[in-house]
Amino acid sequence: MESLDPRVGRLGIPENWGTLEPKSNLDQLETFEVFSIMKENKPFTHVGIVHAPDEEMALVFAKEQYGRRDSTLAMCIANSSNVLVSPFTDNNQNLYDFLEPSKALEDSVSEYQVFHLYKRGKQHQHVGEAEGKGYEDALNRAKEQYDGSKPVLNIWLIKSEHLLSTDEEDAQIWATTPEKKFREATDYRAADKIKRFKQEKA
Amino acid sequence: MKNEAIKELLYKMADDQLVLGHRNSEWNGLGPILEEDIAFSSMAQDKIGQSLEFYSILNEMGEKDPDTIAFTRKADKFKCCQYVEHPIGEYDFSLVRHFFFDYADYHRFELLKNSKVERIAMAAKKFQSESKYHIMHANAWMKQLGNSDVSIERMQNCLNEGIALALGIFEPSPMENVLIEEGVFEGEKKLSERWLSSIQSILSKTELSMPDISTAPINGGRQGKHTPHLQPLLDEMSEVFSIDPEAEW
Repeated sequence: MESLDPRVGRLGIPENWGTLEPKSNLDQLETFEVFSIMKENKPFTHVGIVHAPDEEMALVFAKEQYGRRDSTLAMCIANSSNVLVSPFTDNNQNLYDFLEPSKALEDSVSEYQVFHLYKRGKQHQHVGEAEGKGYEDALNRAKEQYDGSKPVLNIWLIKSEHLLSTDEEDAQIWATTPEKKFREATDYRAADKIKRFKQEKA
Repeated sequence: MKNEAIKELLYKMADDQLVLGHRNSEWNGLGPILEEDIAFSSMAQDKIGQSLEFYSILNEMGEKDPDTIAFTRKADKFKCCQYVEHPIGEYDFSLVRHFFFDYADYHRFELLKNSKVERIAMAAKKFQSESKYHIMHANAWMKQLGNSDVSIERMQNCLNEGIALALGIFEPSPMENVLIEEGVFEGEKKLSERWLSSIQSILSKTELSMPDISTAPINGGRQGKHTPHLQPLLDEMSEVFSIDPEAEW
C-alpha cells in the first residue's frame, strides 16, 4: 500500500502531468446534531455534532463522543440539514416578538420538535413539540405554547420524523459511565504522589 | 475442585479481555474517522477494565495481584482463545472479530448474571451494560459494510476466514461440568448456541452470508497453546512494568 502520509508522498510528481485539474470536493461524511438528557427531568440539550454515514451510525458515534464522560440518560440525533434555524436576535430581544403570521400554509400537518436558545454561548434546549402546516405555521403554534418570560434568542425546528433517539430498553448502556473517572486526567493524582516522593527524599 | 474450575473460567475470560483490549487499542489514533477512533478505543478500555475486575476476583481467591497476573506470565500460561491474539490486520478483520467476539461476550455475561457465585454475577451484570453498546456498535458497522458494494466481498472474506477462530472462543474447558453442576456457568455449548442465533440474525439484515459453521474450530488457546503473535504482544504490554515491577504508579 502506498503511504497516505503527505510527508512521504509529496514528491511524487507524475510524468506528463500536463493539464491543471480543478480541486475536488472533500469526501466528508454528513454531520448530525447530537442532543443529550444529562439528568432526570431535564430536557434534551444540544451537545455537539458528529460525522457519520447514516443515522444509526451517528447515534452509535454520539454515544461515545458525548456520553463517555458526563452522565447521560438518553440521546437523540438529527441530520444537520434537517434542522431549521431561525435568525438570531440581539440579546434581550425575544425572537417570538418578531414573528409574523405564516403566509404559506402546506396542505398537510407535520409535527416539529422545538429547541430554544436562551443565552449566547449556551446550547439549544428542547422545549416541546408543535404541529403546523409547514414550519412557519409550527413556529406560530410554538409561540402560543412556549413563549414564556425569558427572551428566546434563536429557535431550531426539527421534524419529529427526522430525529432518531436511543431506546428506553437500551438504557443500560449509560449505566457504568459514572464509574469511569479513570478517563479524566484529574483522576490521576500525580501531584500528591510527587509531593510524597519529595517528602520522603528530603 | 469447584474453586479450581471457577479460577479457570475467570482466567480465560480475563485473558480474553486483556489481550483483545490491548489489540483493539492499537487502533488508537488510526481509526477511520475521529468518531470511530474514540468509540473503538473506549470499548478497548472497557475490556481492560473488565479484565481487571476478573483478575481482582482471582486475587481474592488467593491468586497474585492483578498487575502481577497480567504482566508477568509467559504466553503459555495465558488462557485466551487464539482469535484475540491475532494482529489487528486491516479494519475489516478487526471489525469482524469485534462482531464475533463481542456477541460471545454479551451472551456470556447474560448467562453469568444468573451465576450462583454472587461476585461473578454482579460483575457480569455490570459488564453486560458495556457489552450492550459494543454489540450496538458492531451491528451498525456490519449493516453499513455488509450492504455496500465496495465492502461486501471484504467483509465476507473476513467472516469466512474468521469463523474457525471464532468457534475457538467456545473451546470447552476440562472442568466445565463442575461449573454447570454447581450453577456457576451454563457452559460453552449453551453459550455458542445463543451466539450463533444472534450472528445469524444480524447477518440476515445484510447482503453477507453465514460462514460455514461446520468448520473445525481452532482450539488450543484455553490450554495455553498460542500463536507466535501472543508473546510479542505480552512483551510490549509489560515493557514499562518490567523496568521496575515494584514501582508504585
